[in-house]
Amino acid sequence: MGEPANDLPEAAERRFSAGAFSSGLSVPDFAACLEMGLEPVGFVQGFCAMQWGWYGMSGYQRGMSPYGGTAGGYVENYQCPHGMRSVDHRSWGQNYQQPWVEKAWTDGFASAYSRMLEEATALGADGVVGVVDTFAHLSEEGVVEFHIHGTAVRVQDAPPTVLWPWTTYLAGQRLAKIFEAGYVPVCIVAAISSVRVWAYCVTEYLMSRGGVSAWSMDAEVTEIEQIVSARTAAREIVRAHARGVVGGDALHGVDLAIREREFEQGDLEIECLLRGNRLRRFKDFDPLPPPQPTVRLS
Amino acid sequence: MSEATDDLPEATQHRLEELEHGLFTSDLSVNEFLLIKQAGFHPLGFVMGSSIYHTGIQTRRWGQSQELTKLTEAMYNARELAMTRMEEEAAELGADGVVGVRLDVNYYEWGKDAAEFIAVGTAVKAEDGVPRLNKLGKPFTSDLSGQDFWTLLQTGFFPQGLVMGTCVYHIAHRSLGQTLSTTGQNVELPNFTQALYEARELAMTRMQDEATQLGSSGIVGVRLEEKSHQWGSHTIEFLSLGTAVGKSSDEVTLAKPTTIISLDN
Amino acid sequence: MTNPELPKESPDLKAEVRRAVASLADTPRRGDSTTSDLSIDEELNLHSIGWEPVELVSGVSVFSVPWRVWSWGQGEIEAASAAHAQAFRYAIARIHSEAAGAGGHGVVGVRVERAVHATHIEVSLLGTAVRPIGAVPVAPGEVFVSDLSARDFALLVVSGWQPLGLASGASFVYAPRRAVSAVLQQRTQNVELTNFTEAMYSARETAMARMQETALALKGTGVVEVKVQEGPMPFATHAVAFASWGTVVRLANNVHRHIQPKMVVSLDDPVLLFDAQTLG
Repeated sequence: MGEPANDLPEAAERRFSAGAFSSGLSVPDFAACLEMGLEPVGFVQGFCAMQWGWYGMSGYQRGMSPYGGTAGGYVENYQCPHGMRSVDHRSWGQNYQQPWVEKAWTDGFASAYSRMLEEATALGADGVVGVVDTFAHLSEEGVVEFHIHGTAVRVQDAPPTVLWPWTTYLAGQRLAKIFEAGYVPVCIVAAISSVRVWAYCVTEYLMSRGGVSAWSMDAEVTEIEQIVSARTAAREIVRAHARGVVGGDALHGVDLAIREREFEQGDLEIECLLRGNRLRRFKDFDPLPPPQPTVRLS
Repeated sequence: MSEATDDLPEATQHRLEELEHGLFTSDLSVNEFLLIKQAGFHPLGFVMGSSIYHTGIQTRRWGQSQELTKLTEAMYNARELAMTRMEEEAAELGADGVVGVRLDVNYYEWGKDAAEFIAVGTAVKAEDGVPRLNKLGKPFTSDLSGQDFWTLLQTGFFPQGLVMGTCVYHIAHRSLGQTLSTTGQNVELPNFTQALYEARELAMTRMQDEATQLGSSGIVGVRLEEKSHQWGSHTIEFLSLGTAVGKSSDEVTLAKPTTIISLDN
Repeated sequence: MTNPELPKESPDLKAEVRRAVASLADTPRRGDSTTSDLSIDEELNLHSIGWEPVELVSGVSVFSVPWRVWSWGQGEIEAASAAHAQAFRYAIARIHSEAAGAGGHGVVGVRVERAVHATHIEVSLLGTAVRPIGAVPVAPGEVFVSDLSARDFALLVVSGWQPLGLASGASFVYAPRRAVSAVLQQRTQNVELTNFTEAMYSARETAMARMQETALALKGTGVVEVKVQEGPMPFATHAVAFASWGTVVRLANNVHRHIQPKMVVSLDDPVLLFDAQTLG
């Protein structure tokens, strides 16, 4: 995930040279690591704070995005079917992807991630397990702080690695099963998509009962196409981003979180965040027999 | 038991007809579904009954802690109505019994002095065709989960009916006030304690009476619930619920459980 | 409950891990990339019946509701019921076509999210498309969608059942016109309020009946894991919604295969697990 910079803060260097290790693993997870021959060597983390000024700008002129949807991403235009001309009537609307938001987020995540990898490398670790990533929105002005941490481990009885440490969100028994099933973790994957909806008159009326309603029919049960398109696109884009970085490997245990911000009059901002474990097969697949059902007496 | 026969709404008749054509519905989980089949039963359909009942009281400051018998009657009747309608739906389907029964209470803002009492469950029928109605000639009901139902059958017992006892009790204001005047001391509140004790006993005794009526050997899964509904904190309904069981007539071989160490978190 | 067989002793595991990590230095094998939100246990369950995950798929829909319908009326709020049914239908159709496009034969573990607002009803579905290992793609009409977990899906298949799709039914209804307090003034205590009972009862039954109809349309013989959601609308408390949905199933070969569960007594005490947060 990008070239790491050599900028370990001083406090981290001191913590490592002191020799003792700390670990964020629970007791069962710790025991499982030892069973796998993974020796925890320390707690590692990376931080990054990113700001993008125009994120969430409210006073912005409707219909004039900074990049106008020409950044080569998803764009869809909607024209008013009514032929009305008036200041209040939204005769034109647009859905568009916001690649600048996606890039800022991806850069922030990558920085925090590579700082964590640096700490792991400084400890001579082969991999990082039990990764926890958090993103805190620090203020309305669009500042997001990334914090990624995990437990660095070394593989016992193996030559020191020449690669960057492999990483995974998993730990404990679940990770053991991954190895037993024939997979090896490669890295964690996080991808984001950001889609903005500027509603046109039909959407605005249907979503907010506002706007000019002179033409409105009485009983309308109809699909709100603009919103459906935007939501579908946001989900497709984030999966395409993830597929782009996974190559021929498998993306496992995915979590897809969707956050929507509603503005007035039917305008919307959709953010999809997809996180998962990139895994690779290292041996041919050997299926287990069907498990034995049991009923537990408590 | 109240007399609420043949008053199921039209929508119910239509829905039950569809179920009789061979479609079953159930809110059993897949685990429970498979265990019910294992126990020799097949689900017929999701059955439910409800009734909206008046539950309001005039709040008065009674001097004595006492049972509010009219309210007790109301709470009991409301649930009985709901249960009876659910049992009727089950009987309509030709069921031997209803498992996984849940009793719920819904409050609506537009009905301040009323509440809706709902009973839902899954009607089941024995696959060997031998009827298993209880002593009163009705389908058995039970709030046992699919797992507990299967386990119970393994022990040689069979559910006969969901039994309940209820008691609405008012805790007198004065008795609470009197005892609190001895501030700063760690004392038991004897009047208060006595009142709660009596209320719980009444609820449980009534539940046991229902079980005796069914001719059962015992009650499993007993639990006691306390609700204030919309009456304020001095009036509480004590509801005691359980499943009455009796010895099964089926042949039973008890398997010895295996000990395991679970590997799942 | 299912428990996998006890794993082999640790020395094998350590050797496997060393071999696995060493393989990262090799050029990767050619593989089809797959994305799935299944846990490793679920994936193993799938594999044990010869199926594999393919792709994460979704389907969404939003239908408008003419907002004036929520003011007090009588009987069923038909526009809302229609919007709910349509939103479900379109969302399911979309997830069908995504799954078929990815080569899946079915979708399991579907997360069903429904929301009712004053102006619109939305449905959002998300799940993992699965297929028998190495199977060729099928037409969207043959894909099944189910909110059963992969584990439950595997159990059903082993018992001889096949999932067909998601059935859902909903009905929206107004509370009867006369307020409860007005009715009560004329009666003594201990009485059932039959008007209200009838209204709520019918609505509940209607929702279930509609779900059953969808099940019959899919040619199923049963609906399992039915979920029931009911309650007043936060923005209009005199309007009440009843919704139910579940997975439609049918016996694959007319014979139910009995599983013979073992009774077990677990020797584990419940472990107090704490988050892998920092002890920095």
